[in-house]
Amino acid sequence: MNTTTRRELGRLAIAAAIGGAGASGAAFPSFAQGSNPIRIGYSMSLSGGLAGNGRATQLAHQIWAAEVNARGGILGRPVQIVFYDDQTNGGQVPGIYTKLLDVDKVDIVTSPYATAMIAPAMPVVMQRNMCFLTIFGAGVNTAFKYDRHFNMNVVGDNMKETYARGFLDIAAKLPSPPRSIAILAVDNDFAQRAAESARFLAKERGIRVVYDRSYPPSTVDFTPTIRSIAATRPDVVFIASYPPDSNAILRATSELRFQPPMFGGGMVGPQLAAFQQQLGPILNNLVNWDVYSPEPTMQFPGVVAFLEKYRELAPREQADLLGNYIPPYAYAQMQVLEQSLTRVGKIDQAALAADMHASTFETIVGSVKFGASGEWAEERNLYVQFQNIRDGDLEKYKRAGTKVILAPSRLATGQLQHPYGPPA
Amino acid sequence: MSTTALARPATAPAKLQRGLAFWLGALAIGIGLFLGLRGLGNDYAYFAGYFILQYVVLATAWNILGGYAGYVNFGAAGFMAAGAYTAIALRKATGLDLLPGIVAAGLVGGLLGLGTGYLTLRLKGVYFSIATLCLSVVLQTLVVNWDYVGGSRGAYVIRPQTIDPFTSYGEYLFIVMLVLAIGAVGIARAVENSRLGRGLQAIRDNERAAEAVGVPTLRLKLVATALCGALMAIAGAPLPYYSGYLNPEAAFSLAYAVNAIAMPLIGGAGTWAGPVIGAVLLGAMQQAATVTISSALNLFIVGWMLVVFVALAPRGILGWFRTRR
Repeated sequence: MNTTTRRELGRLAIAAAIGGAGASGAAFPSFAQGSNPIRIGYSMSLSGGLAGNGRATQLAHQIWAAEVNARGGILGRPVQIVFYDDQTNGGQVPGIYTKLLDVDKVDIVTSPYATAMIAPAMPVVMQRNMCFLTIFGAGVNTAFKYDRHFNMNVVGDNMKETYARGFLDIAAKLPSPPRSIAILAVDNDFAQRAAESARFLAKERGIRVVYDRSYPPSTVDFTPTIRSIAATRPDVVFIASYPPDSNAILRATSELRFQPPMFGGGMVGPQLAAFQQQLGPILNNLVNWDVYSPEPTMQFPGVVAFLEKYRELAPREQADLLGNYIPPYAYAQMQVLEQSLTRVGKIDQAALAADMHASTFETIVGSVKFGASGEWAEERNLYVQFQNIRDGDLEKYKRAGTKVILAPSRLATGQLQHPYGPPA
Repeated sequence: MSTTALARPATAPAKLQRGLAFWLGALAIGIGLFLGLRGLGNDYAYFAGYFILQYVVLATAWNILGGYAGYVNFGAAGFMAAGAYTAIALRKATGLDLLPGIVAAGLVGGLLGLGTGYLTLRLKGVYFSIATLCLSVVLQTLVVNWDYVGGSRGAYVIRPQTIDPFTSYGEYLFIVMLVLAIGAVGIARAVENSRLGRGLQAIRDNERAAEAVGVPTLRLKLVATALCGALMAIAGAPLPYYSGYLNPEAAFSLAYAVNAIAMPLIGGAGTWAGPVIGAVLLGAMQQAATVTISSALNLFIVGWMLVVFVALAPRGILGWFRTRR
């Protein structure tokens, strides 16, 4: 039997005290206040599964901060961003936010990227009554009902009835209107909500659901799945997937030469430069959910200049090379904050929240108005089609005419091409 | 036979005295920690403390089966998630709060451990480890498809902002975890000093020989798996209250499984103090790394520490101190 003697415990206590002093010194650093900046704190996934979008968000925020500081700051004070990497681990998030608020004493908190990381921050933020402007969450506030929560995302607060509407509107324009739909979704929050919307709206429009399945995120081979979807001969296929599986699904579909009249849905991945580079013509005629495309109808003031700056810095920061997905929204998120702070004239969480509820914000992604739940008052789910794609060259994604907007109709810039599949 | 010879059984009064000293020491450390952190006056200290203490419980639990009996359990994340989801299900079904959730998690984890033990303990070495890894995968698949506890969408637990008589919910969670950690270490110490512990160590050294001299190996291993499962589940029960939202990816995170093994090995497996030292050291380093260098270096640190310790101090920090004595 191993026993620990008192002498050993004594030695250990000394070792622990030395180690502990080092650790606590590192965990509670003091920050120089100097010029009294406005400190904006958040946690961001800079490593782990969400790091791709986390890095892009972070870069957009840095660009914004540099520009604001060059203009003389906000309310005469420079802005300083304080951030920590949550490693795509929700368990790290509450600790990081308490550190930001209690130790670093930041003035404002914003969110990490996406629902699974935003939700663990909510209790901490709510306890301190902070105004919380988040990015790309989905329905987080449905559970918390916090009146100082605002979310920068195009999906709005009624995903079930609105998310897949654009997709089915486009499908209705096929030469023979669709009578059947196949739905495939990965087991995660966002994809399940997307699939629920497709299911609900298809039923409402009398489109028969001939295939409706979910798959675990660890799935790697989709050949059997695509074969069974093809066997049901659907008129349209709606897929809600995340990057690794989006890639595998599109490759399997291409290899099996499955070319239904319309294919796509809420796939996350094809919005990113790495996908566009790797998949090339496999993306041709894919109709997919998106948030931004450099089409003439989305040339909001400032967005071109921002993207130029972003693309210049992206390779060095190892962020998405094009920035056509989250970065404009991340920049716009900070614009909302800036405009609100300027209007309120001081750092007052209640006043900031009241202002965000009441105002319309002019940003590089257009006019933004928040509804009662803090989501966008009016949803803007884009459905784009990748047209005339013959290779993986990224230059064409910087111009109009590649990711053509088909829905909503007020932003549409082209007509549906069908069926799905690489150009002849 | 173990590298350290079996100590002579202590006489009853000496044992009682050592037990009393341990509990008084634990109480003093507990009160000291509480007062010290309250003196710091910020919630972050409680959250960081919670983060480290949950690993003390988890590592101690792992040590009961892995350290004493030599059965390496890769399914720590699975047991921990079972505890977390028990707390969520109980809250949803009955509205009961954290403390009943911890008790229920302990029961579920214990039964799960017992069942796993019964089914898998005929496997030895790496085969047992693979079976525990499979258990984690099976549990995750179950949770992902169980809509009642949120399924793949995750579950929200809206906790109260404060709870009397504590200054904040963070403080309450910290105190709960502190009590659990002291309890877990106390249990591990009791196991170590009992016939059960000696039997488990005999199993670790040579199971056949132990069986031959009359150690009831199956029964002891079942007690160990049940205890290990219960304590791991207890470590997970407060997790949904800590984060307010839990999805299967977070609950079954690889970090828990890796840390549960690395911490006892670095601290010194097979002793009650080893996992505590490992958890405090590695947990504090990871928390410090998160808020200072702030990068993916977190698991990298754990990996390197493990390599360094396996190479230089294969019996952990405690073993290193012993060999220097």
